[in-house]
Order: sequence, then structure tokens, then C-alpha cells
Amino acid sequence: MEPMRSHVTAGALLAAMALGAAPVDGQHEGHAMHGMSTDAGWRMVPMDPNMPMLPGLEGAVPVVGPWMPGMGIDAAALPEARPSQTVSMTDGDTLDIAVSMVRRTLAGHEMIMFGYNGQYPGPLIQAPKDATVIVRVTNDIEMPTTIHWHGVRLDNRFDGVPGVTQAAIERGESFTYEVHVPDAGMYWYHPHVREDVQQDLGLFGNLLVTSPDPDYYGPAHREEVFVLDDMLIDDEGALPWGDSAPTHALMGRFGNVMMVNGETDYRLSARRGEVVRFYLTNVANTRTFNVTFGGAKVKVVASDVSRFEREQWVTSVVIAPAERYVVDVRFDEVGEVAIANTIQAINHFRGEFYPEVDTLSVVTVSSEPAEATVSEAFDTLREHADVVADVESFRRWFGSAADYELETTVRVRDLPQSIVLSMEADTLYVPPMEWNDAMPMMNWLSTAEQVTWILRDRATGAENGEIDWRFEVGDVVKVHVFNTPDSFHPMNHPIHVHGQRFLVLSMDGVENENLVWKDTAIVPVGSTMEMLIEMSNPGEWMVHCHIAEHLHAGMMFSFVVEGSNR
Amino acid sequence: MTSIVSLLGLLGSLAPTLVAGATLPAAACVAGPPYYAFELHTTKNIAGTGLARGTAEVEVAGSSPFSIALAPDGSYVYDLHVALERMKVPREGQLVAWVTTPEIDRVVRVGALDANLRASGTVDWNRFIVVITLEPDDDPTARTWSGPVVFRGMSRSGMMHTMVGHGALQQENCAAYGYGS
Repeated sequence: MEPMRSHVTAGALLAAMALGAAPVDGQHEGHAMHGMSTDAGWRMVPMDPNMPMLPGLEGAVPVVGPWMPGMGIDAAALPEARPSQTVSMTDGDTLDIAVSMVRRTLAGHEMIMFGYNGQYPGPLIQAPKDATVIVRVTNDIEMPTTIHWHGVRLDNRFDGVPGVTQAAIERGESFTYEVHVPDAGMYWYHPHVREDVQQDLGLFGNLLVTSPDPDYYGPAHREEVFVLDDMLIDDEGALPWGDSAPTHALMGRFGNVMMVNGETDYRLSARRGEVVRFYLTNVANTRTFNVTFGGAKVKVVASDVSRFEREQWVTSVVIAPAERYVVDVRFDEVGEVAIANTIQAINHFRGEFYPEVDTLSVVTVSSEPAEATVSEAFDTLREHADVVADVESFRRWFGSAADYELETTVRVRDLPQSIVLSMEADTLYVPPMEWNDAMPMMNWLSTAEQVTWILRDRATGAENGEIDWRFEVGDVVKVHVFNTPDSFHPMNHPIHVHGQRFLVLSMDGVENENLVWKDTAIVPVGSTMEMLIEMSNPGEWMVHCHIAEHLHAGMMFSFVVEGSNR
Repeated sequence: MTSIVSLLGLLGSLAPTLVAGATLPAAACVAGPPYYAFELHTTKNIAGTGLARGTAEVEVAGSSPFSIALAPDGSYVYDLHVALERMKVPREGQLVAWVTTPEIDRVVRVGALDANLRASGTVDWNRFIVVITLEPDDDPTARTWSGPVVFRGMSRSGMMHTMVGHGALQQENCAAYGYGS
């Protein structure tokens, strides 16, 4: 299959999909919904009943129609989703993945969701570094789909971007991906069609690329894969999604039910002194997690596309949507240890920060001691000489001026006037990060038909799909990304670059002294991220915000790398 | 009404991590995102400060392997740089920078201002007040100030105000939210 060379446009990727809508009884928690048409199927987003309602918003619903998966289908007739299974593959092996509807029970609600091979998350694919594995994907859900191999520097033809690298896979059709994995580490795969819906409904899985070096990571007693996610559920089940465009376009769709590996009560056991290696992946639509380990000792070892130059002690792991971190944790204290999302949330209506702790998982630590050698080795922070040397070979570009400057902003139209007035009145202070949905009603009512998120090339003024960057294989490009704090609604953005790897050299001029190769990195409000991108992989590649609703509200463009792999 | 003095008596173990930094080079004090910078305002409590100005700048703490640094409770960790200018340096005493909570129930010493009238440290509160005082001497062990307040300024987050109980859009009784009647 030849790659399509036409430059991506927002229109091509945002082609509205009529997902269909069917009646769902109205439901809301503590707020009047005067005038709401229950026939439309919308029910108000869950929110604190003490939170005041803005004038004019009673009964308001998004301007797009509601959509639920599998409407008219008896959930009982669908197979129940199974936990993820590991598939070990070697070079040339083939895996068939069926994208289908499954039955899930979450927070006491039986609901129709999506799954890869009926699993939740999808199969954990293990493959050795430098292998090429074949994945045949067949679509049996009611929407077109693709699979994007997030972070993998593979052949452009298999990057999974509809309208750029392939046509979307229609229902009943198949597409065969050849996934070459040149870098060890933890990756993940997900659709690149309406991620706000498909990813939220369970279409994600991990791809663990193993190194031939048995000492690639330090010693650990065992490894655990943690896929972090959230989902928005009320008394009736999952809230509908927008049919022709996403809702929650301002802040993204925060969930109110937290999950690890698709489960709301994920439990582990460990022995005293046991060192557990966690592979963390954030697959949530918009939530950035601050993962704490109950006081256990934690060191960060690796992130998206490589290990860090040096292991580093941390007290928590800040992980934005689509990022991965590998952390080693030693459980020294007997008893229950809560792995939690620990944040300072904001209550806009009270003008306050307040602590919020959501337990993601509980580890029961027994008094039985773990094997001591590994426990003791944990105390040593390792330096990864090969990573240091690799980074060093790019140092000559560290001091150069930026080749490109991007800035982020947002444009809105036709939002309810009370939302506009309220936003304008309450933007004297915008936090660096939005850790919670502090304005659920306003957020829900903002759709991608009214909100346009923008990546703007400062030199040319080109926005999103208008941006035209062209490079040659071997180019090393410095890009500054400035997250404008002065827009209608500033927000943090996890910026993802397809098909290449990059270093975050500095944030706000503060040099990063412990580098790691990334494919996704968060830019807080008001901050400037200095990234150095190695253009190693030819093709047409996306740059976009990985908040699913921001992506579908336009925040993306593509660039071209000419040449061939060296 | 609880006095500031009595609130200051609560100082101690509740204080967050705050490390006095080394003296910065004269030109290196402006590195953080300007959006979160804020002004320090003179109290005119001492001579030679009537026209003086001050700034406090914050930046992502450099030691974090993530794009943003957080304390274990999820509060932001900022490197804080304060600088004064256009003021006459007092002949006696030592200008010292502090941070305190809006309730002034916790105080942490940032450090003595250097000859360029600058000081740096780290703060891990989301909302705080920077206070510059004139102390009798430079006492690194001091847990709160004893001299007059010379400058003060509120972090940008102090501008996040309640939307309850006032404003053009208000339609509900603010008493429901604990804001009086």
C-alpha cells in the first residue's frame, strides 16, 4: 500500500460520522432539567449537587446529538469482556485482532463497550526489539476504525492515521499492519478515529518491546502492567457521547470512575521488601494522573521511547494522557498500600484548591520477606551509559535557536452566553494543570462544533492543518511549544509526535538534566517546552494534542520527512 | 479574631519543604513563565522604599523528571525567585524573604536577600504570600519574622476567587456554600 501524500487537513480527519442516536431516559443528579427532551437521549452530566447552576443552562444539552454503542442490541447477547492476555510474538509472527462489541460491568452497570479480541484492555503484545510482527485487524464495530501504534517508529504506511496513511477500516473490512519495533520499551495501540469514543470504550492495549540485554532494566522481583483510565458514569451507566462531534471539548471528558487494567478494584499482593516494576500507561481521554505509592520507595527508570539517562528517586509519577513511565517500587512496610491518584483539585465556584485522593489499586504486603539481593540492589540508582552516549550525540544541537515555535490557543463560537461570561470572569488565574473537571456542565456543553483548539506556527501564523513543515531524514529540529495563558480557556496539552522521538531539553528555560526519549510530553499552561526532534523516519506524520476531545477539535497537523530509513 | 501573631505561633512541623537557594547571578533571575510571576508591593514601612518595586517569579522545579514538579500531596513545586529594585538598602539589619499561607498559619524562610536584593528558594504550596521583612540579623534558624514587613505579594493563584455569593451571574444563596448570608 502506497502512502497517501496529500497533506492532512483538519477537515479530512474531522469528517463527521453520523453515529446514530436512540432514546435514553433522562437522568441527572440534583439539578433541574427543565425543558429537556428525553427523546434526545441526553441526560445531564454528573456533578456535585451543591455546585450552582449558571443562569440559562437549566435543561441545556450539547448541540450535537447523543450516541451510545450498540443501541438496539441486547447486551446479554454479547460476549463478556475478558481480562487482557499476553501474546508473545517473534519476528514474522502474525496476530489477528478482531475489533468488536463486548459486554462489560462497571460500577454496577452492565454496558456495551468495545474490545480488541474481546479483551479489556486489548492483548498485551510482547515482541523483541527489531522484530516485525504482523497484525491483521478486522473491524466489527459500528464505526470505522484504525490502529495507531503509539510511539513506535514504524513504517509510515502502518501508522494508522485515516486520510493520511490509510483509509479507515470500515465495518466488515480488514487491514494488515506490519509493526516494526526498533526501540525497547512500553508502547500502546489505539484507534485514530474518534478516540474520544473508541478509546474511552476500551480500544487500547500495550505493546512491550523487550531488549536483548538482560540487564536493560535493574533487578526486580516481578513486573506489573498498569493501564490507567477513567470513565464517566452516572446512575444509568456511561454518559452518551456526541454523535457528529465530541462533547467536553473545552477540558476533555474526565471520568469519575478510575480503573487499572479496566478494573475498579485492582488488587495485588507483595512480600515485604519486594521490588515490583510497574509499566504505567495513561489511556484516559484527558486526565493527567499523579500516581502515589503510599509512601513506598519509588524510582523512575524509563519513559516513552527509552530509559532515562539516570534512574531517579521520585515521590509520585505525573503521567499525562498517552505517556508511559516505568517505575520500580519497593514495598517495605507490611500491610495495605494504596496506589492512588493524589491531586489538588480546584473548586472554581469556591475559588479553592482541595485535596482529592482516588485509590487506583491496593497492594497487600505480607510479612514474608522477598529475596534480599534484589531488594538491596534497588537502593542503587543506575546510570544508563548507552542512553547518555545516545543523548550526547545530539548535544551539538542543544544550544541552537529554535527552528520552529508553536503556540497553543483556542477559539470558540456559539457557546451559551453564560458560559462565555463565566469563563471570562473567572480567568484571572488559570492553573498550570487541570487535574479535575471543575466545571462539568460548561465542559459537557462545549462541543467540537463550537470549540477549535489550535496549534499555531508563530512565524507564519499557519494554524493546525495549514502548517506545512518539511524535513529530510537525519534532520534534527528544535521546536518551542508555548502554551498561551491568555486564551479563552487555557489548558495543559500533552503533545504527541508520531513516528519520531524527541528530547525535552528544557521547560521554561530550566535545563532538563536527566533526559529521556519521548513521543508525548505535557506542556502546562504558561510554559514553554523546548523539544529536540530527531527526524529519523520518512513519511507524513501527525503532531497533535493527545486529549482526545482537543484532537477532534482541530488541534493537529502533519509534517513530512523525505528520504529513506538509514 | 485570631491575630496574625497567634497564627504564627502554629508554625513548625506543618511547614513544607523549602530550601534556600544559592545567590543567583545578577541577570539570571527571570526564567520562569511570566504568567505566574507576581508583583511584590512595598509597605513603605522603612525609609527608602517609597518608590521601590519587587517581583516574584516561579518556574518548574528543575529536579523533576516530569514536565511539572509536584509535592506528594499534589501541590505544585516551584522554584521561587524574588527580586527588589529601586530601593535604598537599609544601613542596619538584613532583608529576608519568607513565604506564608494566605491564612499566615505556616511560614517558611526563603533566605536573606543578597547584595543584588535577590533570593531564591522552593515552595510547594499552591497559594502563598511572599513577605520581605527587615530582620535584626541573618538567622537561618528563624521560624518566622520579627522585623517589619517591607514588601509582600500574593501568588497568582490568589486571583482565583469564589464565584459564589457575588457577581453578575450569581443566582443562588451563597450561604449554602459557607459564605455567610
